[in-house]
Amino acid sequence: MKRFLAVLSALLMTGCAAPRENEIRVWVAENTVEFTRRQAEAFMAARPEYAGYTVVVEPVGEGDAANHILTDVESGADLYGFAQDQLARLVISDALVEVEPAQAERIRRENDPGAVEAASLGGVLYALPMTADNGYFLYYDRSVITDPTRLESILEDCLRAGKRFYMEINSGWYQPAFFFGAGAELRYGTDAQGRITTMACSYASEAGVRALRAMIELAGHPAFVNGSSASNATNMAALVGGVWDQAVVQAMLGGNYAAAPLPTVEGWQLGGFSGYKLLGVKPQTDAGKLAACDALAAWLTSGEAQLMRYQDEGIQWGPSNLEAQSATRDNAALAALRRQMAHSVVQGQYPNEYWTLAGALGDDVLAGRYDDYSDEQLMQVLVSFQAAAGSYVSVNAGR
Amino acid sequence: MRRKLANAGAHLALTLLCLVWLAPFALLVLQSFRGESGGQVAYAIPKEWTLENYRFLLRDESGFLRWYANTLTIALFCAAIQTVLVLSVAYAFSRLRFRGRRLMMNMVLVLGMFPGFLTMIVLYYLLKLLGLTQSGAVPGLILIYTASSGLGYYIAKGFFDTIPRALDESARIDGANRFQVFWRIIMPLAKPIVIYTVLMAFMAPWGDYVFASYVAFGDPQGYNVAVGLYRWVNTTDYQGYFTRFCAGGVLVALPVTALFMALQRYYVEGVTGGAVKG
Amino acid sequence: MGLIRTFIHGDWKTRVSYVVMGVGSMARGQWLRGLMFLGFQVVFWLYMWLFGVDYLLALRTLGTAETTRVDRVTVYGDNSFLILLYGVLTVFFIAAYLYTWYLNIRQNRVSQELLACGGRLKTAREDVHSLLDEQFHKTLLALPVLGVTLFTILPIIFMVLVAFTNYDHAHQPPGKLFTWVGGENFARMLAGGESPVSFTITSQTEEVTTLTITARNGDAFAVATGDHAGARSAAALTRGGDADFAITQQEDAWRIEVVSSGGQAGFTASGVTAVHTPSYAGTFRQVLVWTLIWAVFATFLNYFLGMLMAILINKKGVRLKKMWRTLLVTTIAVPQFVSLLYVSKLFAADGLINGLLMDWGWIAQPLPFWTDPLWARVTIILINVWIGVPYVMLIATGILINIPADLYEAARIDGASALQAYTHITLPYMLFITGPYLLTSFTGNINNFNVIFLLSQGKPLSLDMAGNAGATDLLITWLYKMTVTDGNYRLAAVIGVMVFVVCAAVNLAVYNLIPSVRREEDFQS
Repeated sequence: MKRFLAVLSALLMTGCAAPRENEIRVWVAENTVEFTRRQAEAFMAARPEYAGYTVVVEPVGEGDAANHILTDVESGADLYGFAQDQLARLVISDALVEVEPAQAERIRRENDPGAVEAASLGGVLYALPMTADNGYFLYYDRSVITDPTRLESILEDCLRAGKRFYMEINSGWYQPAFFFGAGAELRYGTDAQGRITTMACSYASEAGVRALRAMIELAGHPAFVNGSSASNATNMAALVGGVWDQAVVQAMLGGNYAAAPLPTVEGWQLGGFSGYKLLGVKPQTDAGKLAACDALAAWLTSGEAQLMRYQDEGIQWGPSNLEAQSATRDNAALAALRRQMAHSVVQGQYPNEYWTLAGALGDDVLAGRYDDYSDEQLMQVLVSFQAAAGSYVSVNAGR
Repeated sequence: MRRKLANAGAHLALTLLCLVWLAPFALLVLQSFRGESGGQVAYAIPKEWTLENYRFLLRDESGFLRWYANTLTIALFCAAIQTVLVLSVAYAFSRLRFRGRRLMMNMVLVLGMFPGFLTMIVLYYLLKLLGLTQSGAVPGLILIYTASSGLGYYIAKGFFDTIPRALDESARIDGANRFQVFWRIIMPLAKPIVIYTVLMAFMAPWGDYVFASYVAFGDPQGYNVAVGLYRWVNTTDYQGYFTRFCAGGVLVALPVTALFMALQRYYVEGVTGGAVKG
Repeated sequence: MGLIRTFIHGDWKTRVSYVVMGVGSMARGQWLRGLMFLGFQVVFWLYMWLFGVDYLLALRTLGTAETTRVDRVTVYGDNSFLILLYGVLTVFFIAAYLYTWYLNIRQNRVSQELLACGGRLKTAREDVHSLLDEQFHKTLLALPVLGVTLFTILPIIFMVLVAFTNYDHAHQPPGKLFTWVGGENFARMLAGGESPVSFTITSQTEEVTTLTITARNGDAFAVATGDHAGARSAAALTRGGDADFAITQQEDAWRIEVVSSGGQAGFTASGVTAVHTPSYAGTFRQVLVWTLIWAVFATFLNYFLGMLMAILINKKGVRLKKMWRTLLVTTIAVPQFVSLLYVSKLFAADGLINGLLMDWGWIAQPLPFWTDPLWARVTIILINVWIGVPYVMLIATGILINIPADLYEAARIDGASALQAYTHITLPYMLFITGPYLLTSFTGNINNFNVIFLLSQGKPLSLDMAGNAGATDLLITWLYKMTVTDGNYRLAAVIGVMVFVVCAAVNLAVYNLIPSVRREEDFQS
């Protein structure tokens, strides 16, 4: 079957595209490209046995990487960083090769259990933890917000100052802050092939209704704006976001810059996800190149590399063994993140459809559809939400 | 008196319309000179003026010049190839009579209705077969844009339809073959439609995001301006790139706008099938 | 039949050509034609022998060899995608071969008859010359036809075939195989109605709080066992392997009986509430309706506003006509990804427009431009006016100048009002000339990906819609999400086929009604 392709491409490709067998392509987020290049050079200098390969680093963010690699696994990068929620999808489409057993051993030893959990499916480790900062917390303006621990007070302060509070409630990632915080849960279980096999969900409950009600009230508040990107926020006094917003928020707020865990709503603490960013190796057909990719991946995610990534001015990502790292203690954002972790759930695997479903619920809230709903009616909404969430569990797993 | 009032009203209305129509561009230009922050703001006039956003675009690290060159290359090739193909098809359907003509015209109409993005993945693999994806995206995109461009023969055919038949016939009597009629008699009369086709073919590639991002996936060497700039405003990796996006937008809009302004009367003549002399 | 008759009446040259193409032509002195026929035949059989037969055989299963790992090194198996692609290519090649073979026979028949009547065959030189004369259409159309065949027709046939496979993100080549599933995708798409078809347990929580059973038609049944409001309590449930279901409706509730086939005890649950989750069929209808509404507004609203703008500019007494026109057409010239991306940010909840309106004290709360479904739809239509009106204005100013002034003069003398003059003179004239433009712009708007994608990405979503569709999604943007974002090619292909059928029918009908097309011949003279 491949013969024709081989003949044809031999005929046509002469001079067109350079052969890429000896190239290891790496996709990382734009702001770590320079850093990763330096690391790759250091790797090449330290490991002469891989001298036959050249490393090419390209800026493809963790959010886009999964979509891009699934376009065409064979032409995608050999190593790529991605957010952990994409793991099952990548595994089921065969875009990741499991981590070498010897390395897996080391990774389990050196990282937080949550990080290992995040990179594993059915007990198989599929990727290497790279950072532990895929969670969210509160940024705020010290001169405006008097009490960052209560959402009610934050909103009042914002309103008084003519400023806004930003949170992206139509995102499946931020939205669980309400549901999990109120005491509801939504988890999926997967097998080692990446198929979603079970779901545990209690959104259709009093806790769920409480969370939904809080979202509706927040959406109706004049000081609220839906959104999470600091550079798109035109008038912020407080924003729920992650460490990637750090530099922008710092520049925006200057001396009034501050970070804290998420606030409480009506006395209960907002929860949510804490997660990891991972580095994965694509399936390789050549043993030599696989070894090189493995070694490079290990190098880029090693403890030192993670610490250096944190210390790099432009990046400041938290290492995946955050608890053990004393060096990150005095970073306000990471400190807030670490404190928020106590209230958060380590993010597991979610089917792709979940993100859409949560987005739809959030959009309905923002559109004001539920403003006049009774608790009974909200329960009905959540019952169908839950039923839809359950329908993503794979049917006839073999087909 | 009444006429004067009416005229004043008309001028006032036009002024208002122009304000509405031009305001977004004025704002875009203003934002591109903003110095105080790279993100979104809710006011129009920058507090601090700077050329830094443009300087950033001209530096190698931004990749913008590369994308610009890619897009320009694509646009130039498309303008040439697409014009030849479109005019060939339009001329054949308009002025030549052969078996299967009606059938082919109806087929074209039906084919144009199939949602193009669905076939994107097939096109991608066809291009990959030829080695024209990722860093080879520029020739690949030229191929995709032009290969099926014959389907858009419609307006050009309308133009050819309006040229009197008697011209061909007298030339045929004088012994010219059909190619000579096409080349010596009709083409000189078809200047507006040629320019119209060139203009449309040149402008289209500047705005394509979908195919371009799919074919070049992940390889910044193969991006066009739309793909490159789109990433600056719609992914969280690029915080504070908004003013740079605006500057890039201005640089992209300039040549296209200038060209369009210069040639707009041919646009009118072309699209109305020659019924209007712009 | 004709082929057999030709064989019977044919001389040896004709008969040999049935097996070896081009022999007849060469024997009659037309060596160029003969060589081309023969060359094509050789290439074809070489291809079939080397690759073609394999591809055709593999088409039956779309590949059987799974991808495996040997010591973590990947050994790729069959690639279903490429099998299907090359298979279709091969079928195309065979069709081209058969047609060429037929041409070769016909050629022989014609030549033989011509020679019998004492005629003369064309020389190679004359053949080439005829391509610039009586065969000029072939020269003109060769390249476009080739391009369209390879880059439009072939992909379309491929995607139509995909609608009959299970190609989605869980069956993604090169790592995974996909295969034929017959009409299953269509059944899933078209399934509707109230009565459930068949059920499978799809999930069960670890603590046994909820069990969801999904019917093939998209309805889901939530079986609650806790004390949740909205669903009455039922017996504790345990999952028992593959199970058979009996579902009955009792008054306002559903009763589900499950008999485990694994020999384990099944369960009976009553007090089950049927929860409607949106079906694809329903979502398809909603998206289609909005697509048509959008296309009508985007086409005709722009058309009339554009005409108004042109009339205003053309009004006697308005000065600097050219300047107004030039200023107003800037929206055409600036690439849409620049202008639309920027404009979409202007309308954000904390964007410039809301900011200004609040500063001026006109509103207290930001207007929900992108969050409310109706607002979003109206906003998009209005922004599209901004984009689209200048096109019409530009065309219309030109056309309006050309309307003979004495027509209006005569109308005025007859006592017609300005409105009457407009509906009886201006409008018919405009419609006649811009008919084709209107048609292309209507179909263009049905598939207007850019405006929606750059402004709203189809949002806002809603729990009432399935498959990632949102209130402002057109069919085309919905398909985009389904393929590029979700990798759900199988359903996307089904919907694509349906869109294609609807649009093609409408378009063909309308096209053949347009006056300038129907009277094509007299229009030209």
